[in-house]
Amino acid sequence: MSNQNLKHAPIMPIAPKPSQYGIDPSLVKKRVAELPGMCSLQLTELFPELPPVIYPGGEDALDKLYQVAMEELRKVDMSFIKEDQSVNILASHHGFTLLGGQPYAVLIKATRDAIIEKTGCRDVRLRAGVGMRFRETEEYIKRYGLDEYFGPGKTRGVAPVDEGIPIETEVGTLYGIKAVYDADWIVHCHHTDVREVHFHRQVDKAVKPFGMSYARIETRSTYHQNLGPRAANFTARAIFESKFVQSKFAFASFLNVGPHGVIGVDADNDLYAVNDRATFIGCQLYGKVMTLFGKIDECIAVLDFPCPVPYVFSAGVIYANFTGANRDLYDMEDTPLPPYTWYTEAFYKRDGKPILDSIPPLNPAIKMCVHNYAWTGYPSAFFSDHVPTVVVGREQADLFDMEPMNIEYMSHAVVAKTTEGAMDFAYKVTGTDKVIIFDGAMGGLNCSESLADLLIAKAPEVSKEVDEVLMPKWFRQRGVDISILDKLEHK
Amino acid sequence: MKRVTIMAQVDPEICRGCRVCEKVCPVYAIHVTDRKAKVTEPDCRGCANCADRCPFHAITMVKREEPFTVGVDVSKFDREKIDALCAKAHFNPQQVLCYCVGVRAEEVAAAILDGADTPDKISSRTGIRTGCTIECIQPILRLLEAAGIEAKPDPNGWQWYGETVTAWTMPEEVKAKYASHGFYFDEDRKLLDQVAATGVED
Repeated sequence: MSNQNLKHAPIMPIAPKPSQYGIDPSLVKKRVAELPGMCSLQLTELFPELPPVIYPGGEDALDKLYQVAMEELRKVDMSFIKEDQSVNILASHHGFTLLGGQPYAVLIKATRDAIIEKTGCRDVRLRAGVGMRFRETEEYIKRYGLDEYFGPGKTRGVAPVDEGIPIETEVGTLYGIKAVYDADWIVHCHHTDVREVHFHRQVDKAVKPFGMSYARIETRSTYHQNLGPRAANFTARAIFESKFVQSKFAFASFLNVGPHGVIGVDADNDLYAVNDRATFIGCQLYGKVMTLFGKIDECIAVLDFPCPVPYVFSAGVIYANFTGANRDLYDMEDTPLPPYTWYTEAFYKRDGKPILDSIPPLNPAIKMCVHNYAWTGYPSAFFSDHVPTVVVGREQADLFDMEPMNIEYMSHAVVAKTTEGAMDFAYKVTGTDKVIIFDGAMGGLNCSESLADLLIAKAPEVSKEVDEVLMPKWFRQRGVDISILDKLEHK
Repeated sequence: MKRVTIMAQVDPEICRGCRVCEKVCPVYAIHVTDRKAKVTEPDCRGCANCADRCPFHAITMVKREEPFTVGVDVSKFDREKIDALCAKAHFNPQQVLCYCVGVRAEEVAAAILDGADTPDKISSRTGIRTGCTIECIQPILRLLEAAGIEAKPDPNGWQWYGETVTAWTMPEEVKAKYASHGFYFDEDRKLLDQVAATGVED
C-alpha cells in the first residue's frame, strides 16, 4: 500500500470542554488539525496486528460495550457481598479523559448494575478520585450523569487532602482517603491505558490508584519523593497488600484500552491477574506507539486537548511521555531516570543544569511546542522551561498565571494571538514542517503529511523490534510470565 | 520562593461554617468564627485548597492587588549547616522539593535554621506545598526530623498525618520479597544517594 493510501483526512479532535481548569470552549477558535497540510494515520493500518475495537465504532458501540461489560462482570464471584451491605465503586479521573469519557462511564454504570443484579445489594456508591484537580471528578460525575444514575447522595469526588485513614502495611503506616474505604466492600474500576509510564514504568500499573487517586498526600508524597523512580509504585502494592484493604477488596473491573480504542472489559477477583494482562497491553500495544514516536527526528509538538499540559494525547501517548521518547521508558535498567519524571525534574540545579551528567535531556526532537489548547491543574513550568513554547491566546496565558501550580509557566513561554500565527512562527523558527498533534484523535493520530511519511516508513521495523527484542526484555525486567499472552486471548 | 499572586475570598452569604476550609489549609490562613469562614489575607499563599474543597462553593480565588514574594534567603545562613541538614535527610541542597513552586532543599533547610519548626511555618515562609499541596509533605517532614524536630500533626485538621517509609528505611525482607516483581529498590537508593552526594558549585 502506498503512503498516500495510508494518509487520511484529519480525525475530528476531541471537543473543548467547559471546566474550571481550561478556558471557555468558545475561545478555542481553531484546531491545528484543521490547518492546511495536516492528515491522519489509522493505528490499525500502521500496526495491522492491533486487536479489533469495540469503541470507537458505530452508533451502538457504547451499547455493545455495556453488554460486553455485563457479560464479563457476571462471571465474577460476588457471593460474599450481602444484600444489606454497602459497596464503593472506586474510579479515577483519568478514565474520563479516554476516548471522550463515555466508555469509562459506561463501565462504571455496568459495574453498578452487575453488583445489584448479582447480589441484591442496593447501597452501591461511587467514589471518584483525582490527580491534582480536586474538582475534576465532580465535573465528570455530573457530565456523564453518574449522579442521577447512582441516585442522591451516592456519588462523591474525593481528593488527597480530604480526611484520611491510616493503613498499616508491610512498610509501616501509609494513608488512604477515608471516604474511599467507608463501605463494607470496594470495587476497583479502572483501565489499562498506560498514561504515566514515566512514573509507574508499567510495574503494577493496575494497582497504582491505591497509592495515588485513592490515597492521601502522605502516601502520594512517598511515591514521588521517598523511594526513587523505579521503586515508587511499590507504595501502591504496599497499601493493596494490607490486611485492611484486602478485607474490603471485592474485585476489579477494567476497561481494556489500547492506543486505538476500547478492546474489551476485564473483570476478576484477582487484581494481580488483571495486572499481568494489563502489563502485556501496556508493553506491546502502547509500547509500539511509544517506540515509534522515539524514531521522530524533529518536529513541532501541538497541544490541543482538554487536559493538563502533560496529559494531552496522541495515539494513546501523552505529551509527557513524548518528551521522554528519546529514551526507552519501559527499560528499567538502561533508563533509571526518564528525561521527564518528577524525580528527574527535582534533579536540576539552580543554574538549570542537571545534578548528574547522566540525566537525559527532554526529547531534543521537539523543536517547539505550540500550546493551542490545554488545561492548568498540573505543575507544567518544567515543560515550558525546557521546550520553546508558544501559547495561543491571552486568555489562556492569564489562566496559567492565576493557577497555583503554574505561576511560572508563562515566565518561559510566549503568546501568539491566533493558532495560525503560532504555527507560522513555529515553522519559521524551527525550520521543520513535521508536526505531531496531541488532540486525542480517536483510533489514530493527526499530524503533518511529512511526519506521516516518516511514521509510515518506520512502523514495520518498530513492530518487529518491540515483538522480538524489546518486549521479552521488558517482561523479564518485571518478572512477568510471557504465558499471560494465552490467558489474554481467552479473555 | 514563591510569587503570591492570588488569595482566597469567602462569600459569607454562601458559607455555612462547616470548617472543611480550616482543615485543608496548609498555612492556617482561614478560620471559622461565628459560623463564617474568614481569610487572614496576608497569610494566604494562594494554594486554592479551601476553594477546591468547600462543599458549598463559597470560596473563590482572586487576584491580589499587590502581589508579593515569600522566600528565605539561603545566603544568610551557615552553608555548612544547610548542607549537613540536607545530607542527613538524603537530599542534594539544590534539588527541587516542590514541583509547583520550585522550592529547593536548601531553602527549606534555611527556613528550619531560621526557626520554622512545623510544616505550616515552612510553607508560609518558603511557599513550598502551596501549589498542589500534595507531593512535598514528606521532604518537609524528613528535613524537620533531620533537624531533630518532632513535628506533631494537628488532631483537629487534615493538613498532614505522619512521616512514611523511605528508600533508607525500607525493610530488607520486603525488598527481598518483591524485588523480582520489577521494583528496583536498592538501585534507586543508590541513585538517590548519588544525587545527594554530588557536589554543586554555589
